[in-house]
Amino acid sequence: MRAARTAYPLKWRVMDALEGVAAAIWPARFRRATPYLMLLPAVLLVGLLVLGLIQIADASLRTLDTTTFQFSDNYSIANFRRALTEPLFLVVAQRSLIAALIVTAMTLVFAFPYAYLMVRTRSPGLRKFLLIALFLPFFIGQVVRAYGWLIILGNQGMVNEALGLVGVAPMRLIYNYPAVLFGLVQYMLPFAVLMLAPALTAIPEELEAAAGSLGANWVRTFIHVVLPLARPGFIGAGVVVLTLSLTDFAVPAILGGGSQDFIANAIYDQFFRTSDQGLGATLALMLVALGSILVGLVFALFGAGTLAMGRSRA
Amino acid sequence: MSGSRSKSIVLWTLVTIALVTLSAPTIVVLGASFTGGNIITFPPDGLSLRWYARISQASDLRNAFLRTLQVATICTIVAIPVGTLAGIALAKYAVRFEKTIQIYLLLPFTIPLIGSGIGLMLIFGKAGILGQLWPVGIACCVINLPFMIWAVTASATGLDPDLELAAANCGAPPLQVFFSVTLPAVMPGVITGSLLMFILALNEFLVSLLLVDARIVTLPVLIYNSIRSIITPDLAAISVVFIACSAVAVFLLDRLVGLDIFLKSK
Repeated sequence: MRAARTAYPLKWRVMDALEGVAAAIWPARFRRATPYLMLLPAVLLVGLLVLGLIQIADASLRTLDTTTFQFSDNYSIANFRRALTEPLFLVVAQRSLIAALIVTAMTLVFAFPYAYLMVRTRSPGLRKFLLIALFLPFFIGQVVRAYGWLIILGNQGMVNEALGLVGVAPMRLIYNYPAVLFGLVQYMLPFAVLMLAPALTAIPEELEAAAGSLGANWVRTFIHVVLPLARPGFIGAGVVVLTLSLTDFAVPAILGGGSQDFIANAIYDQFFRTSDQGLGATLALMLVALGSILVGLVFALFGAGTLAMGRSRA
Repeated sequence: MSGSRSKSIVLWTLVTIALVTLSAPTIVVLGASFTGGNIITFPPDGLSLRWYARISQASDLRNAFLRTLQVATICTIVAIPVGTLAGIALAKYAVRFEKTIQIYLLLPFTIPLIGSGIGLMLIFGKAGILGQLWPVGIACCVINLPFMIWAVTASATGLDPDLELAAANCGAPPLQVFFSVTLPAVMPGVITGSLLMFILALNEFLVSLLLVDARIVTLPVLIYNSIRSIITPDLAAISVVFIACSAVAVFLLDRLVGLDIFLKSK
């Protein structure tokens, strides 16, 4: 008996049993459907977001009765009319959109050389240093990072204290638009570098050498060889930075101090300050639409870049 | 890297600015947490660990941190099987409607966080599960799921399908092929993905803010709520917890799979 047991270990028995169960539940003739079964949990989980969007759409069509604080049972588009006509929302939307564009441009300007140096350097030590310097802040939340900026730039912050030592009156460095932009660029840099780096790795270094040997200086090599070939990376990085900064909440809230609200802050206020869930839902829906249109536009024009998942590489 | 002197000057100038910008908040928070004074000043009023002693006594902070760990754990436990299976399916099989499924699975990224958060808040509210911790974990999992799928597909594309066929040819039934060939091949992706999921859930702020109430507040939300008043070093000392977690995650990622995998072209 003993000999038989060692010849057929417990692990095999367990595996046999599992295989048996699997074969009973999912016979071989279902094999063609296996990938769909594997995708099902993810599809269901993301389905929660779709359900959420449906709830938002439903709420956006109900108006708040300010005398009873009840939401109407019948649908109307009054919220959308308000969202589109109230000047406050227009200001906020404009502010967020312009910020997103500036932040995207700024982030790409700094992320490209960072990614390029990280990919092209011959020193493994420098590469590791650049990677660690990138990942450490990436893994520290927005709130903590914004808090760090408050310590540096705040009214009693380090910069103002240091300026005070040399007799310069304190300046207001936070709670303004540039502070929010700056905080966003810092927040977005790791995302952008991580989207750009794979695209740069894919460019053979010999191409740059070839351009150089044909007489192009490094600026022309960048413009005519590196930048065009890095396009998938720029698309990926651009889309991520654009949408994340357009819809950010924490940086405008902490570094803007309530005076520099973005769309997300306006939505939050509608839900938790004004308690007008309908109008808040309307704004949320419009933001989702705006974000999707921007992403869709970029994808339609340039393809999915480094954002593509799975086998097909656009 | 090759090129002229002007190229390295331009590159290094931009990279240095980026490096300073990236690191400044971390360094300053670390420094401020060791200050001896009551408020943060420059130059600092000597070194002390008093703020650490103070936060180690505060039970609300400790509880908030434990809750945050719980949320991150739930998020990761759910994400590992879901993301791994989806990632392998997308990388290995010619799925019908592949483009549509890809776009659908990218929804967590294309829907703004405030939209996802409010949507989840509304449906969790209807289901009557708002005010518990596990829905927050699920929410963090949903919004970051593409990271997990990405990490897995990236390593699954390196898997030669012939290996699985060879295993099957040698008589391995489907589950054994999966556990002895497919899964080990995508393991680096699974590790990367789960570390990302854990650390992102640990830091998740906006969705937490929407889904928690005063009884189950998570640490990032607690820090945010305390920020508005005057800047005191105890907040810096708590923030160091996040810096430490981030350092551990970077270390693990480097040790287990190597940070270089993020540089690989797909």
